[in-house]
Amino acid sequence: MKKRWFVNDFNIKKQAEELGVSVWQAPSLLFLAMGVVSVIVMLVIYFISKNHTSPEYLVLAEVFVVTTIFVAGNTIITSLERLAQINKMKSEFVAIVSHQLKNPLTGINWDIELLISKYKDGLTQKQLDVIKKINNSNILMTRLVNDLLDVARIDQGNLFVSKEKFDIKEVIKKIIVKNDLLAKQMNIKIELDIPEDIPQIVGDEKRLEVAIDNLFSNAVKYNKEGGLVSIEIKKEKKHLEFCIKDTGIGIPDNEQDQIFEKFYRSEKAIRKETGGTGLGLYIAKNIIEECGGKIWFKSYEGEGTEFCFTLPLA
Amino acid sequence: MKKKKVLVVEDDSNLRQALVEFLETDNFSVVSATDGENAITLTKDNMPDIVLLDIILPKKDGFDVIRELKSDEKTKDIPIVLLTNLGSLSDIEKALELGATTYLVKGDYQLKEVVDKIKEILFYQK
Repeated sequence: MKKRWFVNDFNIKKQAEELGVSVWQAPSLLFLAMGVVSVIVMLVIYFISKNHTSPEYLVLAEVFVVTTIFVAGNTIITSLERLAQINKMKSEFVAIVSHQLKNPLTGINWDIELLISKYKDGLTQKQLDVIKKINNSNILMTRLVNDLLDVARIDQGNLFVSKEKFDIKEVIKKIIVKNDLLAKQMNIKIELDIPEDIPQIVGDEKRLEVAIDNLFSNAVKYNKEGGLVSIEIKKEKKHLEFCIKDTGIGIPDNEQDQIFEKFYRSEKAIRKETGGTGLGLYIAKNIIEECGGKIWFKSYEGEGTEFCFTLPLA
Repeated sequence: MKKKKVLVVEDDSNLRQALVEFLETDNFSVVSATDGENAITLTKDNMPDIVLLDIILPKKDGFDVIRELKSDEKTKDIPIVLLTNLGSLSDIEKALELGATTYLVKGDYQLKEVVDKIKEILFYQK
């Protein structure tokens, strides 16, 4: 777990890291320095002018202040230009990776689909089992690539969510089936508290499937042997409220305000399962919020966690 | 009922083959192109019922193809489904503004789901 660095309230070290420059080039520090220099020079001028009346000192002081401002300003502008360039490279990187990596992964996915749905004749069960395993690995790879690309897009404010009406019940069913194997392995019981007729919600069906799957699979993954995961859906006036509760390891108090951060993984989570990117909650939160919802949670270490979120009705 | 004609524009040969085969086994008549210029020519010559279009293509890219097809009286009403692995908001907005009917991110859809979307568009149209 990263220790928090507090250089001072202006978070200069963090800013320097994010811009990729040394602490002495961080804009906040430079502004502070400029301000301090200006104040000092003005005090010096004041005291000097009290004892001398020659303008040379004034001019000298002016020159000093202006030089400081130019140097500081120039360094700041250089940092900003560098940042703009890095941003541009990031966009190009995302576009290239999208195309180069996702095309072959899609190719594998579609060819397996063709094999299983149209060219199944003559394949033994054993062969079909192996193909299913290849498919699962491919699904994992695709998911990871998608997660990384989502994160890059979220950072650039470029995440796309469509606004369509759809049935969330179907999505929930898919997610439960997806996580069925894992739940069985850990002997987890799944409880549903969902009203019979749920009105359609508005949002991006595919992305919300990813978001909710992240929450649900966490509830299963970080649970105790023989534990419980419950999904509750409540109908409100303008939205649906979802709650996914587990009897798992819980999130320690001191980690709770970092849990939605990119790449953040709780110590306990890492100890329980080494795989995991720390992107799931970051992405889920962004998708839900882009779709017009809110997300929050309650957690007690050693007892369990409950994540709740809302999604607008159609 | 006459078979519906689909033009598949995709430069990756694996993906193109998979799309063509799946569509053909689902009773569609399929024509395919591997670059933007060819896509435009084939559309004008064959007048497909629907075009599946990738964005990154040799010679002319998907955006150019949409512009060209939408500005030609003959082809402007043919629905265009963008099928690509680019998925940024800016790309999608651009495509829809140019007149694409809808935008599907290849990696998120199974072949069956792509075909279901095509059927949805074709049978809601007429």
